[in-house]
Amino acid sequence: MIGRSRWVGYALLSPALVAVGFLIGYPLYLVITTSFRQGKTLDVLRLSALPAGLGNYRTVLGSEATWHSVGVTLVYLVGTIGPAFAIGLLTALLLNRAFPGRRWLRSFILLPWAVPGVIVSIVFLWLLDGSFGVVNALLRQAGWLSTDLAWFANDDTALGAVIVATVWKAYPFFTLTLLAALQAIPATLYEAARVDGATAWQRFRHISWPGIRAAAVLAAILNTLWALREFDIIYVTTGGGPDRATETLAVRIYQEAFAFFRMGTASALGVMTMVFAALLALASMRTLRREYF
Amino acid sequence: MTRSRPWLLALAALAIAAIVLFPVYWMLLTALLPSELTRSRAPVLLPRLSEVSFDAFAAVLARKPVLTWLGNSIAVTLGATVVSLTIATLAGYSLSRFRSRAQQSAGFALLLSKMLPASLIVIPFFIGFSTFGLINHRLGLVLANAAVGVPFATWLMKGFFDGIPREIELAAMLDGCNGAQAVWYVVLPLARPGLAACATYLAIVTWSDFVFARTLVSDPDLWMLTVGMQSFLGEYLVDWPSLMAVGTLSLAPVFVLFLLLEPFLVSGMTQGALAN
Repeated sequence: MIGRSRWVGYALLSPALVAVGFLIGYPLYLVITTSFRQGKTLDVLRLSALPAGLGNYRTVLGSEATWHSVGVTLVYLVGTIGPAFAIGLLTALLLNRAFPGRRWLRSFILLPWAVPGVIVSIVFLWLLDGSFGVVNALLRQAGWLSTDLAWFANDDTALGAVIVATVWKAYPFFTLTLLAALQAIPATLYEAARVDGATAWQRFRHISWPGIRAAAVLAAILNTLWALREFDIIYVTTGGGPDRATETLAVRIYQEAFAFFRMGTASALGVMTMVFAALLALASMRTLRREYF
Repeated sequence: MTRSRPWLLALAALAIAAIVLFPVYWMLLTALLPSELTRSRAPVLLPRLSEVSFDAFAAVLARKPVLTWLGNSIAVTLGATVVSLTIATLAGYSLSRFRSRAQQSAGFALLLSKMLPASLIVIPFFIGFSTFGLINHRLGLVLANAAVGVPFATWLMKGFFDGIPREIELAAMLDGCNGAQAVWYVVLPLARPGLAACATYLAIVTWSDFVFARTLVSDPDLWMLTVGMQSFLGEYLVDWPSLMAVGTLSLAPVFVLFLLLEPFLVSGMTQGALAN
């Protein structure tokens, strides 16, 4: 305690408490109260004059569009986390080995994590463009595609295109968490296994995997929560379209609030999304605890 | 660990890096080549170096207020990073050195912030900022970005301070420093890599911000680069070389910062992620 009272501790903490309170706590409170305000208004300052009730929740739960968004969100989450995990694991196993130039190659392989969502969006829009996209050109050359396909504008491919862009940004997080866990495994375990004649697969199955399982579960939870919040990539590439094919909950909340100015239903939808996220986190925490103890 | 075939492994890693960085490479190429080469039915993947030109950069700087967007992005990023980093350093030090109930609440706040979609939190920001006249204000963007950065930045800083042994401060205090001096002259210099990593994290997050910049500001003179880039997409014929030129300008600082500071950032991120 270095002989100081704990008031110093709280004094140092107070700016953070104020920031979190005013800029996260209070907004959260505002979202919850707004979710009970029924009706729509273009003047947000008059929101508190609207009648209160459970109407927004009834509207949201009864709307087919909500359940459509829930479905899109689930496909988006599973479609993103699965491939991102696979690429992350592969790259982590590779980067865990010693080879020349590893420092820089690791940085390059992790780089997509740092690329702003809007840049991810414009680059993939261009790569997958219908007329001049380089992906279409390559597919045509390989003979796998005969027509021009506007990936982000086509009902059937839009969600897949959005997922590909998201996977690209999401996999480095798996790489770096799994890599950290791999590096914590004592090298002697591998040497002992080698002496005993274990194959590469056996070494992975019985040494690497048990060593990284907890980190893998945790990274999957955090990345799922991230993907659930992801807005930039979807909004900039498709705006939730075509015909709502990519309208996840995060995008729908925004459209309700700022395209239709229905702050009440948007907030209700937001509160429900958060409850969903909390349940997801809670459920997976429990699994995680079981992993540890 | 195997020591076998390190060059083969390096080659594999190089191949993977080439594949995953292809989108960035294509952005750069589109910005640097005459548009006939990239806007083509059979684009050239490996052009001759002599064909490189900076025409797209010159054209877009002449036609769009890119420098204004750049200035706004820099101002908001610097502001939000300084504010968040200061708050997070104080709070991280406190959480690291003073055991209290606040620690558990801090973990909870962090988790909560991970569950709040930016597209949701922007609604109360919009309402609140309308009340206080902060709409169409760079200060509003600074505050919004600073707020969402604080929880994770605090957690990062706590992790870095945890790695600095308390005995070092005690020794400084035995030598006659008071508590604040011990922190300022001894602990903070040791935490420099942590501060750099944390600042990088905050700067990248704010530089990337789109939701706040798009919603809390409507005046085109106050647009950040991200919003400026999105505005290209609304046009009937998207000018891809120009857009990729702006994208390149916008990615360049992130690229440099990330490559230099990635080792610190990664060690801090994983500590932060695995600690809770």
